Parts: sequence; C-alpha cells; structure tokens
Amino acid sequence: MIVCVAVVGHQNNPLYIQSFTEADDALKLHHIVHCSLDVVDERVNNPKKSGPTLNETFLGLLYPTENYKVYGYLTNTKVKFILVTTDLDVRDADVRNFFRRFHAAYVDAVSNPFHVPGKKITSRTFAERVSTIVKSFGLSSAG
Amino acid sequence: MANFLAQFHTIKNSSDHLVIAVEDVSDLWPIVKSEFEGRLPFKRASLNNKTRNSVSVENLTAEFILTTDSRLRSRFPLEQSLFWFREPYATVVLVTCEDLDEFRTILKPRLKLIVQNDEREWFIVFVSKAPPNNDQATKLAKKVYAKLEVEFSSKKRERCCKLDIQSPEANFWEDLESKIMESIRNTLDRRVQFYEDEIRKLSEQRLMPVWNFCNFFILKESLAFMFEMAHLFEDALREYDELELCYLETVNMTGKLRDFGGVDRGDDQAALLNPGSKPLTQIVQDDSFREFEFRQYLFSCQSKLLFKLKRAFEVASRGYSFIISFSKALALRESILPFCMREVWVITACLALINATASQYNDGPPDIEKEFYRLQGDLYSLCRVKFMRLAYLVGFGAEIERSPVNSALLSMLPWPKPAVWPLVPPDASSEVLVKEKIILQETPRVKHLGIQRKPLPLEPSLLLREANRRRASLSAGNMVEMFEGRPIFNDGSGSDASTKMSPSQKVRASSMSRTNSSPGGFESSIDRPMRLAEIYVAAEHALQHTISNTDLWKSLSSLEEYEKKYLELTKGAADNYHHSWWKRHGVVLDGEIAAVCFKHGNFDLAAKSYEKVCALYAGEGWQDLLAEVLPSLAECQKILNDQAGYLSSCVRLLSLDKGLFLTKEREAFQSEVLRLAHSEMKDPVPLDVSSLITFSGNPGPPLELCDGDPGTLSVTIWSGFPDDITLDSLSLTLMATYNGDEGVKALRCPSAIVLKPGRNIITLPLPPQKPGSYVLGVLTGQIGHLRFRSHSFSKGGPADSDDFMIYEKPTRPILKVFKPRALVDLTAAISSALLINEPQWVGIIVRPIDYSLKGAILHIDTGPGLKIEESHVIEMQSYVDLSQIAADMAKSDAAQKEGSLAVDKNFEQLRLHAGRIEFPNWANNVTSILWIPIRAISDGLARGSSSVSPLRQSIVDGMRTIALKLEFGVSHNQIFERTLAVHFTDPFQVSTRIADKCNDGTLLLQVMLQSEVKATLTINDAWLDLQDGFVHTTKGDGRPTSGFFPLVISPHSRAAILFSICLEMLNAEDEAKALRPESILNIKYGISGDRTTGAHPPVAVESPGPEGARQDLIFRSSLVLQRPVLDPCLAVGFLPLPSGGLRVGQLVSMEWRIERLKDFEENEVSKHNNEVLYEVGANSDNWMLAGRKRGHVSLSTKQGSRIVISILCMPLVAGYVRPPQLGLPEVDETNISCNPAGPHLVCVLPPALSSSFCIPA
Repeated sequence: MIVCVAVVGHQNNPLYIQSFTEADDALKLHHIVHCSLDVVDERVNNPKKSGPTLNETFLGLLYPTENYKVYGYLTNTKVKFILVTTDLDVRDADVRNFFRRFHAAYVDAVSNPFHVPGKKITSRTFAERVSTIVKSFGLSSAG
Repeated sequence: MANFLAQFHTIKNSSDHLVIAVEDVSDLWPIVKSEFEGRLPFKRASLNNKTRNSVSVENLTAEFILTTDSRLRSRFPLEQSLFWFREPYATVVLVTCEDLDEFRTILKPRLKLIVQNDEREWFIVFVSKAPPNNDQATKLAKKVYAKLEVEFSSKKRERCCKLDIQSPEANFWEDLESKIMESIRNTLDRRVQFYEDEIRKLSEQRLMPVWNFCNFFILKESLAFMFEMAHLFEDALREYDELELCYLETVNMTGKLRDFGGVDRGDDQAALLNPGSKPLTQIVQDDSFREFEFRQYLFSCQSKLLFKLKRAFEVASRGYSFIISFSKALALRESILPFCMREVWVITACLALINATASQYNDGPPDIEKEFYRLQGDLYSLCRVKFMRLAYLVGFGAEIERSPVNSALLSMLPWPKPAVWPLVPPDASSEVLVKEKIILQETPRVKHLGIQRKPLPLEPSLLLREANRRRASLSAGNMVEMFEGRPIFNDGSGSDASTKMSPSQKVRASSMSRTNSSPGGFESSIDRPMRLAEIYVAAEHALQHTISNTDLWKSLSSLEEYEKKYLELTKGAADNYHHSWWKRHGVVLDGEIAAVCFKHGNFDLAAKSYEKVCALYAGEGWQDLLAEVLPSLAECQKILNDQAGYLSSCVRLLSLDKGLFLTKEREAFQSEVLRLAHSEMKDPVPLDVSSLITFSGNPGPPLELCDGDPGTLSVTIWSGFPDDITLDSLSLTLMATYNGDEGVKALRCPSAIVLKPGRNIITLPLPPQKPGSYVLGVLTGQIGHLRFRSHSFSKGGPADSDDFMIYEKPTRPILKVFKPRALVDLTAAISSALLINEPQWVGIIVRPIDYSLKGAILHIDTGPGLKIEESHVIEMQSYVDLSQIAADMAKSDAAQKEGSLAVDKNFEQLRLHAGRIEFPNWANNVTSILWIPIRAISDGLARGSSSVSPLRQSIVDGMRTIALKLEFGVSHNQIFERTLAVHFTDPFQVSTRIADKCNDGTLLLQVMLQSEVKATLTINDAWLDLQDGFVHTTKGDGRPTSGFFPLVISPHSRAAILFSICLEMLNAEDEAKALRPESILNIKYGISGDRTTGAHPPVAVESPGPEGARQDLIFRSSLVLQRPVLDPCLAVGFLPLPSGGLRVGQLVSMEWRIERLKDFEENEVSKHNNEVLYEVGANSDNWMLAGRKRGHVSLSTKQGSRIVISILCMPLVAGYVRPPQLGLPEVDETNISCNPAGPHLVCVLPPALSSSFCIPA
C-alpha cells in the first residue's frame, strides 16, 4: 500500500505531499520523505555510483529498511518524486509505471498558467488525479 | 564423511600455514636449519589463483618440517586425500657427497627412491662443505654436483641447486626461494584442481536426495582454507560466498524441516564476527547445519577474510545487509524463538559490527569513507530502533520522544510476534504495582507554548490489544491471526499515549482493555486480560530470560541506564551520519539528542541542536516538520533567557503556514512577542521580521519627483500577525538603484501605527532626495523595546509562506527623482528697445516646463537706473507663442490684429508687495506673461552728432537689467533665478550736417532723425534752441513751418528737418555770458507701438480719449554747433632731401619749414602766440634721430613769419620707408595746410661697401 507520495522541488522544498494513511501521523511521513532526500542528493552528487542509471529519471529503491520502502524519481528539472510504500515486495516495473503517470500528472499541473513555478501545488485536480494513480498502483500487474 | 567434521575442525584450527617437507638425507638439517628458517616468511611470492592467473602475495608464512617428524608420518591415506591441504607443498632434499663413487653407489639410488613419488614436488639442495681454499675438494664437489644435475635435472625443470656452506653464492637463496615457490605453485595448482573436481562432482548431485551438505561444506571449506593459507584471500572469500549461496539454496528446499537454532542460552548475542563461538559439530543437523548458527559462521569467515584484505568497509556493508536479511529470517521463526530474540540479536549484531569495523577501518578514498560512515550510521540507527522497541516493551515508552523520526521508525515496526505473549510471573505482583504507579504518575508530555497537538504514534498498534490478542489466540485460534493480516498502519492511529491522557480511564484499565482486545466480539474467556503494567512486567521478565548480555540487560534495567544507552546510540548514529552524505539524518538525530538534553535541563546544548534542526527544516521549507521542532527551541531560549532568540523563534512560529497552528496559538505567540517587547528587556533587541511583515510599493507607475522636491510615499505593508499590532515607530529606507553605497535614507513614519492583519496602506513623508530611481530597502520599526527590521519585499500579496528564499530585491522602482533640469523659464517678452525715461511695460514670459507653479512667488529686483512704477498694477495674462500660431492666424488679418496676444483667457492684475508677486492659480501650468511697468532713468541728455564724424552710441548705454527670482515647488524649495537684460533707448538718434552755406552767411542745418524704436513715431512739433553764437535767420523760435507736422516716421526709418541759422555777431557782453555752449533740439512727438514688440506709449498715459488728445512726449537732444573754420593759419613744408639719396648709416638732415599764413591773434585757443610746439615722430626701427624731437620754437604772430626746423636722422634699414614726420600738437589739424608735410615714403639705399666698416671700432 502506498502510504505517501511527495513532490519535492529542485531546492529540496516540498511542493506537494500527500499521505494515504487514515491515522493522523502525516508528520512521520514528512520526515521519511525529507530524509530520503539525503539519498537522492547522494546519488545525484555521486554520478559514479549511480552508474548505469546516470541518465535515468527513475532512481529506484532509496531505502532498504525493514518495514517500508522509499522509491525516488528525479525529473530533468531536478524535481523529485518520492513514494513511500509498505508493500515489501514491489515490482520495479510497477513503480516505474506509477512514476511515469505521476510525472504526467505533475507536468499537467505545473503547466497551468496560474501555477507559480516553485510554489506548492494546490490544484485539486492534481490531488484527485494523484489519488487515482495511487489507488490503481499495482493493479495493472495484478489483473 | 560428516564424521570427519570434528577432525577437520581441529586440523583447521591447528594449522594455518603451508608446510615444506625437508628430506634430510645427509644429516645436514641441523647445519642449515637456521639459515633456511631465516628466509621465512617469504617476502614475496608468486602464486596462481583459482583461475590460474598469477597473483603476487606478500609475507607468505610457511614451516619447514622434517619428513621424519611425527606430524607428517602417521597419517592414513584417506585422511591424506581429504585433508590434503595440510600436506607438504614442497619437498627439499638435502644431500652432500664428496666422492663420485659414493654418489654413484649409495646416494643416487637412494635419491631415486625418494623422488619416485610423483605426488610430491621436490628439488635437491646439494650442500658443499668444501672449504674454498681447498681446490681439490671444491673441484670434487663440483664434479659430484655436475653428476647430480645430469641425473636429476631435466631440460624442462631445474631440480638442483648448490649451497656452499663456507662461501655461499650470492644468488643461492633467491634460487632456493624460486624453487620452493615453483614447487608450492605446482602443488597448489594440483590440489586446487583436485578439490575443484571433487566439488564439481558433489555439486552435480546437489538435487539428489542422498546429497549431504556437510561433505560439500568440508570440501569447499578445505579449498577455501587452502587458499587462505596461501594468502589467496580473494579466492578464499569467493569460496565462502559460493558456499553461502549454495547453503541458502539448499536450506530452504522443501521437504526438509530442520531446526533453526538460536534457542540456546547466549544465542541472542550475535556471533556474526566470531567463527569459533560454537563448534561446527554442535550445529550439525542431519546432513546439514542449523541455519541460525551456520549463517553467522559463514559471515564471520567472510568478514575475517575481508578484514585480512583490509576491506572493513565491505564488512560493514555486507554486514548491514546480512543483519537485515537475517532479521527477516528471525522474524519468520519468531514464534519458536525466545521473546524478542530478533530485536536483541539485531542490537548485538549491530554493536559488534560497529565496533569491529570502526576499529579496523583505515582511511579510504573520500567517497568510500562517506559511505562507510553512512553505514555506521545506519547500523547505529537500526540498533537504536530495536533498543527503543525493547525499552517500550518494558515500560519506558513514556520516555521516548514522540518525534517524527521516532514515530516513523517505531510505528512502522511491527510488534514482536511470540507464539504466546509472556505471562506475568506469579511472584511479580509488587513489580506490577510499581509499574502501575509509574504509569499513573506520568504526566502527559505537554507541548511548549500551549500548543495542542495530537502526539505521534510510537506503536504500530495498541500494545494492550496486541498483547492480549496474542494470548487470546490460544483460545480463539487463527481467527485473530486474520486480523493481524490487516495493514498495521491503519492501527497506528491508536496509541497508548491516548489512554494516558485521562488518568480516570486508566484506573479502569481492565475494562477498557477488554473492549480493546475484543474488536471482533471475541471475549477473552480464558484469562483476564492483562493490564498495561502487567504487560510491561511480563515483557521485562521474558526479556531477562532472553538477554544473556549483561550490559544490554543493564541498559534496560533502569531508566537512567536506558537513557545512557539511548544517548550513546543516538549520538553514534548522528555523528556517523554527519560524516557521510546523509546530513539530514544526522541533524534530525541531533534533535533527538536535544530532547534528552532538554529533559535533563541542559538547555544550552539542547538549544544548539534544536537550532540546527530548525535551520535544516527552514532552509528547505519543510514547515510541517519545522512547526514540530520550533516550539521546543523557543522553550529552550525562553528558559535560557535568550530574548533575541526567543523573539525570533516566536516570529518564525508566526510566519509559518497559517494552517499549521490554531488561531488561538498564533495569538499566543503574538502576545508572547508583545509581552517581551514591552517588558523588562534591558537593551533593545533587534529582530528580523522579514517573514512576517512584508512591504511593497503601490502598484502603478513610480512616484515621480523633481530634484529637490519633497513628497509623500504610499506603501503597502502586509502584516502576518494574527491580531492588530501597534508599532511605536516605523521607518523605511530607500535605496538608489544605481548606487547602493550611497547613504540610504530612512523615511520615518511620524506617528505610531496600528497594523491590521493583512494589508495596510501607510503614507510616509518623503524629504527631498537626490536624483535617481529608488527602490524600497529595509523596513525598520520598534515595538516597545523591540527593534525589528524586515527585508522582505512582497509582490503585492501576502508573503508566500513556502517562498522561503524570499529575500529577492524588488526590481521595480518606487520613486524616481529626476536630475536637475529647467522647470521654468523666464524670458523677456520683447527684444527691441523701449523708450528710456518713460514708464514702459516690460513683459516677462513665465513658462513652466512640465512643472506646476502653484503658489510661486516672483521676486523682482531692478538694477541701477531702473525703477518699477509701483503706482501701477502689474498685469498678468496667459500667453500663447505667436510664432507657433502665426500660421493658423495668417488667413485672417483681423484675427491677427486683435489676437496679438491671442486668446486672453486669463487676465489678472497683481500688486507688488515688497518686490514680490504671488502667482495666481490659473498660472500653475500655463505659460503666462507678466507685464511690469518700469521706467529706465537716464540723467544724460541725448547727444546729437555731426554727420562728418558720426557718433556711435554704445548699446550698453541703454541696457538695464532686472534680476528675477522665482520661488516655487511644493514648499517653495525650487528657485529659479535669471537676470533679464532690457534695452532702452531714445526714440531718435540725431545727427546734423550743414546742408548748404549761403553767400549771405546763412547756414542750412539739416537735422536727421533716425528712428530707434519699433514703433511709429509722430513728430508733432520740433524746435531748436541754438547755442550762443548762432541765431535763427527768421528771428523766430526756429520752428519749421507747422504745415510739415505731424511728421510720421515709420520704425527704423529716417527723417530730416532743415533749420536755417546764421552766425551771430558776438559782442563783449555776450562773450561774458557764454551760457549755452550747445544747442538743444526739442521734438514733441507721439508714439504708437505695441508693448509686445517694443517701444510703446508710456504706461502713465492712459488713453481714454481719441489719439489726438494724447499728451505728446518731448524729446530733447543737444547738438554742438561749431563755428566754421575759415582758413588754415599755418603751413608746414618738407624741404627736399639731398640729391645723393639716402643710404643706410649715412646721416642726413631733415628740414621742415613752418610759415604763418595769417595773423594768429584772432584765434582764441592759442595761449603762447609767439611759440609753436613741434614734435618729430619716426619709427625707431627705421630711423635714428639726433637732436630734440619735441620742443617749442618761437614763431612771430605776424603773417608771413617762417621758421625752419631741422633734425639729423640716420636711416637704419634699406628700402622704402616712411620718413620722420613733423607734427604740431597744439595746433588743430584744420589750421594746418599741407599736413602731413613731406612724402609718404623715401627710398633708402643699402650701405655702400666701404672698407671703413671693416675697421674695428
């Protein structure tokens, strides 16, 4: 289950962060997303290490923790997408697909002429679309 | 074969180096032993690795063992093949022989016997004992050695070498080493080949039921061990890696249920770095090993090799993954393992790994080093989480900070899942009571500054429920397990903390736990549900049973010890993260340390750490997280009495997203700020409120001001305070865009201001500024003792809360001050002359240049000879430049005629007060003309002149100046000064000439009148008052016939009047009177002109009636009439020069003759009648004069008297030059005839070539 998705700007400022837990614990997800930026930074700053994924937007699994997984995605404008999931066996292809759709939604949202680049995304349409994408996560593989 | 395991184990433990056998044929070993062993360990060796590539190893240890040694003798063949790795890798045969026969008969057969075994790698060392001075013996030894070589060495391989004991050859030892190496290499290759073949055979059978992992393991590890002995650690590691893979593959094969292990006492302490912790024989399970121990064993072997390879980093990285994967494996078997075995194991494993790697780690490349520290941090962090979990279970949960990081780590970590939740031991009721008391005494942790916030969960689900359900599962079966299948996150909302909120509920904990534990309607029928305190006590007892490490148990035994350990782990994690790329992790953990510091009253440290955390969150705009930490920081600062910091924290709290705090809380922050601002602060505290108060200029074009003008500036200020706030003062700086260095000026708001939340518009008085364009700079102000400033410029809206890099400078100028320029122009309206001595209108055109003249005041200061007619009003009217509209007007003459001043839209009469005139309002923006009545005063009488020598009147005579000073602008700050020149003149210029001289002595005097003004003059009358000596012929007053008048003279034209006069016979009385030396011409005239073009009727002349009734003006001009000179009285003649001509350097006498032509007595001018003053003038460059150049000579006054004046001259220059001239200064030139006397030029010849010139002087 995806518990949180986030869009982080190129200055590592949160642009959009949405948790999908029922509990009132969004703050810990903020923390997870924020700390995962360490890994993104590390990968971006050490292109040697990222190796073959140098030119790829999908950063893969950022956090090999015991209980949840954090995936990252870096657009060419240095906007990061972060996905936190509690599914411990997630297929890479699913995540890639998720990020691709999420990216499309993001591009549509920021193409809005009334959106100020670098500001938080407040579009309700975007939120709805994101929750649709989140809900359909993993379904393509299942059925 | 598995039976050999124990033996294998002992062998492995007893030998850790290669063995080289020594076959001591001739009892030489005692002699050479020390030298041989001195070569050990081999400095450098070249061996082949598994892939038959040459590898260089260093410090290869080995041991020489005699073949007769018991260690090599008593072995069974089977043992030998299985544990082949311990067999000798080379055989050195030591021989000596001094006799060829002996060699042939005894030694050779014996050697042949020894070396026939193909298995061995051997070579012969021939030891020569022959002393070097004994040639015979040496020769013999050489011979024997030659034989030996022939016999045992082949072309392919040298198997012999010779050692001279007395004088060893230099390269013997190298030779020996290379031979040993060659042997070892060959043996190693062969044995590797053997083991590989065996392993391959076994691997092929891997999937067969008879397969035995232990056998495979022995072979594989033998190979690995052999590599390790040969210092081929890489290969050894690879073997272990393969072994691990193979094990993991086979261990999970279905059908074989084995014990997992880990149930022994002490198993909770991870043995992942200690291969010898448990003998392998103890962990054999059927044909394989127990997973729990064996995987740790494999990892420990790998890590040992890695440490030998100096790859501590890899140990850490492999170790971390191992711990994670092993922890998962433990999780699968949690039900059979002791309570919390998994957590305890992870803690000990992490700590062991941290200690080992940290001590072994050497400096690596920077990126590896960072990665290493990151791993250390991860290990610490993992350890910390598990430790906190254990602490929670034993009841320290209330001590754990409910921060986002702890919540993220703990609430997503499932509870331990023992088969049955531990029960309270029967004798623990007193402990339960103690725990109960502690729970009751706990006060819910209150957030600072009265912030109400639901605490973050530390539990994946309610512990009470979880523990009781585990017990319920005894009776309810697997149904509860289904509930557990639900995602744990949904349960995360409930927390034990919520129950702590209300102590009253806690008293009835048992009833509450019942409801909690039976969500699906299951009644826990068998046992009474456990209370929280009981759960804690039960867990404590269970853990005590699990944990064998006393240190760890101690850490959990009391709160102080727990905190010590907790701090140690947190600090370890934070420090290591700080050394890595993962700064955020480190800083966040610093915040956790700060929380502990805070609790212990170490506010200084806490504040420092909190500041770091806040800076991290604020720097990247993570406001939600910031809102969590900032109140703690504020509290620290408050306690530390750091007023500046506390205020700034309050301001930061206020400037966070409005949604993050309730209005009530925000109001509380504001009141804190105000309370401090107005309270006991000793010194004013500066405070940056950029995030809270922002400002901007009003939209629209910038305010434009002329240089020197003050103004008012209107500014929008956004207040982020939740309530109205009173600012005691407020000022705003302006910054010039072109040059920031110039002193910025602050605009002060004159009075206190109340800012409403949101948008406020204030106006500030603006003193005159230097030219340039200005942007808003800094807003400063004061609230009580609080000095605040804001740099933040908003773009016309409230400060965007997520716009954390807000400090961008406004680009739009708010004020433009123009460079000094002409704002107004004052010019004279006319360029032609006005009438002198008459009051005239002087027009001054006042032309504002895009600038209002509101309230302007004109100071008029007339220069000398000029006077304002104060009795008259000053007229002011709007002015249209005629030249511009002339084209339009050209069509209609009438229009042009009357519209000389164009449209008289405005007309006003003004009065002069003390030289000042105030401008009317209508003249603010239009060009106007000011008519000032002025009279130029000239005392002198106009002078006529003779036409013979016309007198040019200097233009300066009629020039008068008016100094004007215009004060205007908003506060009369603008001053424009100009001095206007106005030209005044007489109406006429008079010149006279004698037109004719009649025979009867009548002279016709023609008086010519030149009009000097641009106006039509009408002469109504003219008469001449003659001077003495002249009279009118007509005996009248000398007026011309009145029929001539009026005579109209157009502008700048001429007219003339003739007067007939004659000389008056003078008598003595008249001469005595001699009153009037000059004649006066009187002209009565009228003038009609336009004041816009020039001279015009005088101001005083008001013209109510027709033109005829107008009072005429009188113009008077003096004329000097001279009596005519009748004859010259003197004649001057130049006497001819000598005929020889003039020559340079030759003296010549110049002569003039003066002759009196008539009696001189009549001439009244001459005083010395019988003397004449002469003067000779000559160019001194050309002439040298000798004699008196000037002097009186006597000349009789009689007619005809004459005198000659002669003077010696010498010409100095050849050519045509002017001769000297004779002048008579006292005599008027008209009285001299033939003046100048003499020729204009004379010819001077060059000097004759004469020898006399050559005579030296």
